[in-house]
Amino acid sequence: MLYFLEDTINGILMGSIYGLTALGLTIIFGVLKVINFAHGSLLMVGMYLAYWAVALTGVHPYLSLVVVIPVMFIFGYYLQDIVIKPIFKAERNVREPITVIIVTTGVWYILDNLTLLVFGPQYRVINDNPLRGKMVEIGEMLISVPKIWGCVTAVITAVLIYYFFQYTRLGRAIRATSLDRDAASLAGINQYKIYNIAFGIGTAVSGIAAVTLVPFYNTYPTVGVLFDIKGFIIVVLGGLGSITGAILGGMIVGIIESVGPQFMTATWTEAIVYGLFLLVLFIKPSGLFGVKYDW
Amino acid sequence: MNKTSFRQTSIGAVAALGLLCLSLGPVSSLAAQTVKVGNIIPLSGPSATVGQQGKNAREMAVAEINEAGGIKSLNGAKLELIYADSESKPEKGVAEAERLINTEKVNVLTGCWNSSVTYPTTAVAERYGIPFVVPVSVADKITDQGFKNVFRIAAKDSWWTRDQFTFLKDLQTEFGSEIKKLAFVYENGDWGQGIAGNWKKLAEEAGYEVVLDEPYPSTATDLSPVVQKIRRSRADVLMMVSNAADAILLTNTLAEYKVKLKAMISSGGGHADPSFIEATGRNAQYLFDIVEWETDVNRAGAAEANAKYKSLYGSNLTGEAVDAYLAMYIIKDALERAASLDPAKIREALAQTDLAQGPGMIVGYDKVMFNDKGQNQFASLVMVQVNKTDNGLERITVWPKSARRSGYSPVFPKP
Repeated sequence: MLYFLEDTINGILMGSIYGLTALGLTIIFGVLKVINFAHGSLLMVGMYLAYWAVALTGVHPYLSLVVVIPVMFIFGYYLQDIVIKPIFKAERNVREPITVIIVTTGVWYILDNLTLLVFGPQYRVINDNPLRGKMVEIGEMLISVPKIWGCVTAVITAVLIYYFFQYTRLGRAIRATSLDRDAASLAGINQYKIYNIAFGIGTAVSGIAAVTLVPFYNTYPTVGVLFDIKGFIIVVLGGLGSITGAILGGMIVGIIESVGPQFMTATWTEAIVYGLFLLVLFIKPSGLFGVKYDW
Repeated sequence: MNKTSFRQTSIGAVAALGLLCLSLGPVSSLAAQTVKVGNIIPLSGPSATVGQQGKNAREMAVAEINEAGGIKSLNGAKLELIYADSESKPEKGVAEAERLINTEKVNVLTGCWNSSVTYPTTAVAERYGIPFVVPVSVADKITDQGFKNVFRIAAKDSWWTRDQFTFLKDLQTEFGSEIKKLAFVYENGDWGQGIAGNWKKLAEEAGYEVVLDEPYPSTATDLSPVVQKIRRSRADVLMMVSNAADAILLTNTLAEYKVKLKAMISSGGGHADPSFIEATGRNAQYLFDIVEWETDVNRAGAAEANAKYKSLYGSNLTGEAVDAYLAMYIIKDALERAASLDPAKIREALAQTDLAQGPGMIVGYDKVMFNDKGQNQFASLVMVQVNKTDNGLERITVWPKSARRSGYSPVFPKP
């Protein structure tokens, strides 16, 4: 029973971090209606930013948010503005532009290989940081401190994003664009500017996820791929475009991965996660927490 | 100038020039001044780096042998290296073997590093009856086919696990601490499953209790569930097969959960990755890993050979390079005893090899002696322990005991 509790807690903590890595993906999809294949690479860029910020200054890992959030927002904003927007304009009459997906795949390859060229294939871990290897001991139970920080950050980020979209003028403009970009344009909203901002927000959120990972995870050029696959599963599980769905979907995956191995080998839990993914696609294509209309 | 007087001149001061003329002109068996060693190795393609290391090591050894007077029983005949690029392709290896034997008329062949190339290529040598020395290609089947002309120096695949278990046994004897329960944790690919399969057999034979048998996906983003299982299994020794990212994650997570183990034994791969020690730091301390060779093996001449290699080629010797280096000395030793260039006589001499010392013996094990299948029966791997030294964390050779870094005593059980 104690084991079960310990594993469930670890699952929820790790799962909420998975959810946070998927949150940016779901935001970008919700607004642009584009699956961003470069999402994992954006996470990777965030991890390198956070890694170097912490490794060079020696500050608390979460202080790197001050640098990571604005830099990632600007990076995402201009990535959309310069690289993706022209393709969007060429395909303006399609609701879900396919060529944009191909462009994001190109961005993924370029970013991963550029990182490989510049930083080499080494695995980087920040060895001296106040969160590294810290555990809370409750009797026999051990709970990872950096994961608790990550979970709290994930929940706060999700709540802030939710309120931003619900109650601010810009948030409403983003939602309007997401619901019907032509109608939004007629109401005076600059569609492409909104896309830039949404992409920037999605990238910044990946940056936040990157900061939560850096204290306990390795940073290397292809790290994004692992979280990319997980991100897609979580987003489909929770419902494409749904913010709460991303976090809860992440937690479900986390719990399966953490509790499952106590009854079977770790290899099987992967199969279960993918099985659940297919099942949800068959039974409820809009996802467990998704709504038929986005937002 | 007739042939005899020509030979006499060439033995004199202008030996180098004479050699050049001879290798260009027709070679009669009487005037044999060079022994042609054909080397089929990957000099381009995916394994080019390893091929280059092997080439460097061969050149260093052959230069030493020739400087020391060549093959004395053959009137000081020199070794001549002829290379062929396999590009890591089996069909290329086979074609090059045909060419080297028929066109270049080589006396001995070596190669090919990639087991997939070595396997079909040795068959060509067997057909022509040309001795083929395999420095390192690990697939068991290369010597299991019972060819008469194939001699492998390095340990074969299945000996990696054999040596891990021998080491475990020696460790218990040396430190008088008993090990009963083993936990196996391995990546769920072909490599991990293969090794774990051998472990299970060996554990059963040796009477260990296997308390955990856990394959995990190398792409796992969280290994704490696996580490929890290790912790709850209360195993004495944890044996691992991991790729790079998961080796780091596993080692760090084990330390976070304060898992108590008497020893951790890994199987190279990710645990031998250059960034592993840096990324795990103290968490990797006391880990035992298995390798082909390590620069600090306690053998006469090993440090000097490594220093020389480093000054010539800019990097440390590797397991592959050491085996290639030794291969040249084994060929030299056989030629001395054969005193002939007849392939059958060289083959006979190779089969009777009993080499325990000399410049080439910088490997971890004590002796080279081939069994009736051509496998060096004394070949073994080297176990290292990661521990603190004055230079920070280092991989220190601990086993075989005769190759242990002098002055070092392994730490067991893990504190």
